[in-house]
Amino acid sequence: MDLFGSFALILAFICALYAIGGGIGAILTRKPLLIKSARHAGMAVCVLIFLATGSLIYLFFTDNFSVAYVVAHSNRDLSTLYKVSALWAGQEGSLLFWSFLLSIYVFSVLVTYRGKHPELMPYVGVILAGVQLFFLTLNNFVASPFRVLGTMGAGGVWQVFTRADGNGLTPLLQYPEMVIHPPNLYLGYTGFTIPFAFALAALLGRYPGEKWIHLTRKWTMIAWCFQTMGILLGAHWAYAVLGWGGYWAWDPVENASLMPWLTGTAFLHSVMMQEKRGMMKVWNVWLVFCTFMLCILGTLLTRSGIVSSVHAFAQSSIGAWFVGFLAVILLVCLISFLKNRDYLRSENQLDSMISRESSFLFNNLILLVACIAILSGTLFPVFSEWVEGTKISVGAPFFNRVNIPVGLLLLFLTGVGPLLAWRRTSLESLRRNFAWPLAAGLLAGAIAFPLGCRDFFSLMCLMLSVFVVLTIGQEFYRGARVIRARTNCDFLSALVQLTLRNTRRYGGYVVHFGIVMIFVGIAGAAFNQDKQAEMTIGSTMDIGRYHLVLQSMDSKPERNYTSERMIFEVMRDSRPMMMLYPERRFFQSNEQSGTMVAIYSTLREDLYVVYAGRSPDTNVPVIHAYLNPLVKWIWFGGLVVVMGTLLALVPNRQPVLVLKTADQPVPVKGAAQAVPAPISSYERKK
Amino acid sequence: MSEKSKLTAAVCALALVAAGLVFATRGAQAQQTDRAKQIGKRLMCMCGCKQILTACNHVGCQVSGAMLKELDQRVARGDADDLILQSFVQEYGTEVIAEPPTKGFDGIAWFLPSIALVGGLAIVIVVILRWARRPVPASTGPKVPDELLARARAQADRETED
Repeated sequence: MDLFGSFALILAFICALYAIGGGIGAILTRKPLLIKSARHAGMAVCVLIFLATGSLIYLFFTDNFSVAYVVAHSNRDLSTLYKVSALWAGQEGSLLFWSFLLSIYVFSVLVTYRGKHPELMPYVGVILAGVQLFFLTLNNFVASPFRVLGTMGAGGVWQVFTRADGNGLTPLLQYPEMVIHPPNLYLGYTGFTIPFAFALAALLGRYPGEKWIHLTRKWTMIAWCFQTMGILLGAHWAYAVLGWGGYWAWDPVENASLMPWLTGTAFLHSVMMQEKRGMMKVWNVWLVFCTFMLCILGTLLTRSGIVSSVHAFAQSSIGAWFVGFLAVILLVCLISFLKNRDYLRSENQLDSMISRESSFLFNNLILLVACIAILSGTLFPVFSEWVEGTKISVGAPFFNRVNIPVGLLLLFLTGVGPLLAWRRTSLESLRRNFAWPLAAGLLAGAIAFPLGCRDFFSLMCLMLSVFVVLTIGQEFYRGARVIRARTNCDFLSALVQLTLRNTRRYGGYVVHFGIVMIFVGIAGAAFNQDKQAEMTIGSTMDIGRYHLVLQSMDSKPERNYTSERMIFEVMRDSRPMMMLYPERRFFQSNEQSGTMVAIYSTLREDLYVVYAGRSPDTNVPVIHAYLNPLVKWIWFGGLVVVMGTLLALVPNRQPVLVLKTADQPVPVKGAAQAVPAPISSYERKK
Repeated sequence: MSEKSKLTAAVCALALVAAGLVFATRGAQAQQTDRAKQIGKRLMCMCGCKQILTACNHVGCQVSGAMLKELDQRVARGDADDLILQSFVQEYGTEVIAEPPTKGFDGIAWFLPSIALVGGLAIVIVVILRWARRPVPASTGPKVPDELLARARAQADRETED
């Protein structure tokens, strides 16, 4: 099966070469047969990558310990679920997994648009095949997951040998979220290849209008949704597994996932300017280019060892390949832009500083500033060492200090932007839309301050959150009230009708609501408490309203590890609440240990108990307890963001009526001169 | 005042002083712990975990244990924050400080986001002003009569407002 996988990858590489060559030929000659042939080659690449990935999974399932990658990341006792996740546990497998996920997107695009957009699709096919070719080069020649163990025997004959068992999977990855977090994140990273390919193709082919934006909107949203889920699942994994009481450490690898998310978010907002007003074409094209390049940069940071991170794969020479690939992408994008920039000329003007358009500009600016702050902070230690020769750290305090004010500005714009009118907003409209939410925000601050919310940024976050939630609620309420008045239905039905009429708009509001929840959850961190103590049976610990009693401890062998568990009775306000079981697991196969945190989570706070191991001096269990307010809001907020995005992807139930522009004067009987089309004439848009 | 009253007053005074001392010491300890935590959040653990000193959770991490102990001792001695940080820099190098310095080349790390914000803000304002000044392209279609425009506005108002 290892030979089958290797063969499939080599064939995929050859097919990708053909897809590029054939595609370029198709662009130059416009021969339909060549277009079809290049497309089929592109699809064959995907199928072959599917087969290669399937064969690697098969090698894991059958415990084939003659394959180096299987030996390094699996063992016989590993459960089936984790044998699947072992696929992306190491450098070679994760690169194949990247190719696999990219192939799902590429195959879907090639099938969805087969026979459509003949001026655009050959370019798209060539670009996608180009990206696939890069990863297939790595899969075949740099980091093959199908390398077998063996030695050169007598007479120069390669002798394969099989190990009795593997080294096992890293304990940190033996957690259910690790089965879904990396695929989500990778689906985000790889998904941004599609809007990138369409944007570059439209630029190269000078494809007219905003077509590429319409075509890629759904793909961008899908990628963004996966990236969001990936980031949040990663944060939850860090929270529940790493046992340091937090969910975001501003680690370079975490930052690498956040940067394309920020530019992707900026793009999702600014495309509306191009769709509605034909503006910001250059900006949009470069936002997509940057998002894709940041995805590749993120992969480079994770795999090259340029910056040190607890998450990163081992240092390897693979970084040079990614640097080269990044340079090629940048060069191609620059040349295409310089050659065709006249095609990106804006069609409209801006009427006022206070308008939806300008709010999008400011929103994009803030998102970009956040991205620059994170990028510079992540890479600065490298620059500093180059220039000054000394190593410095850029840790969480720096990122928090820089990004918290930026985040609050963004939160403010989340409330303001959607309520501003396109073109121009009158003062009266401003007053009508913002007076109540603003007053309520201030009132919330006035109530929270005497109640003990004294941290400046948390107080601001609370006030802005109330403001944004009310602006969103107001939008739903006003819209639903109009529908209720016109259709005589109940308010809830009106609300559903309203949402389904314009899913993109109201789905967007739901996403904003989820973002507010995430901000509220993050603001809770200002009030975290923690305690650490060596505890024996019967000893107690008090934290906040909670009283912890260590009742007993046990140890039991499981199939793949031995668990040592602390059994706590938890009381709140002197009433017994529940039992908590923080544990440590010792994995015999690789002699590593892992933490299983016990969390009692409510909307108000999380009681987070870690069994940190035994003290080296006294051999007594060390217990670290944290009281983290509002953390649950982050996970719920993430869920709301995903639901909002899915809602925005649903086609409108009822057509949106848009005033139709009269291209030709309509002759009216009896009229002295032609008059434009009557105002009741609408164009139906789905 | 009788002898008995004097004795009672003396005992009460002593008890008050003792209680005061106990509370004062407790307060000082609490302050030390809080202060040590605050300073610990400005330091990195040097075991290679790339975590903040107070967040390093490696069991039996020899480095963070020793660093925290040293920090507690210096706080107990009443050393100033800067002095404590400086002593850690001398022992572990500049990498031990969790934030880049604000002076010299490393100060750029702090200025970059501000430069990006101010520069970006300037660009956005210039772009908006340039767009606003751009002449409106002449309409190619026929002029919409005022009455029709008024009807359209009224209809839009009806459909978007209550």
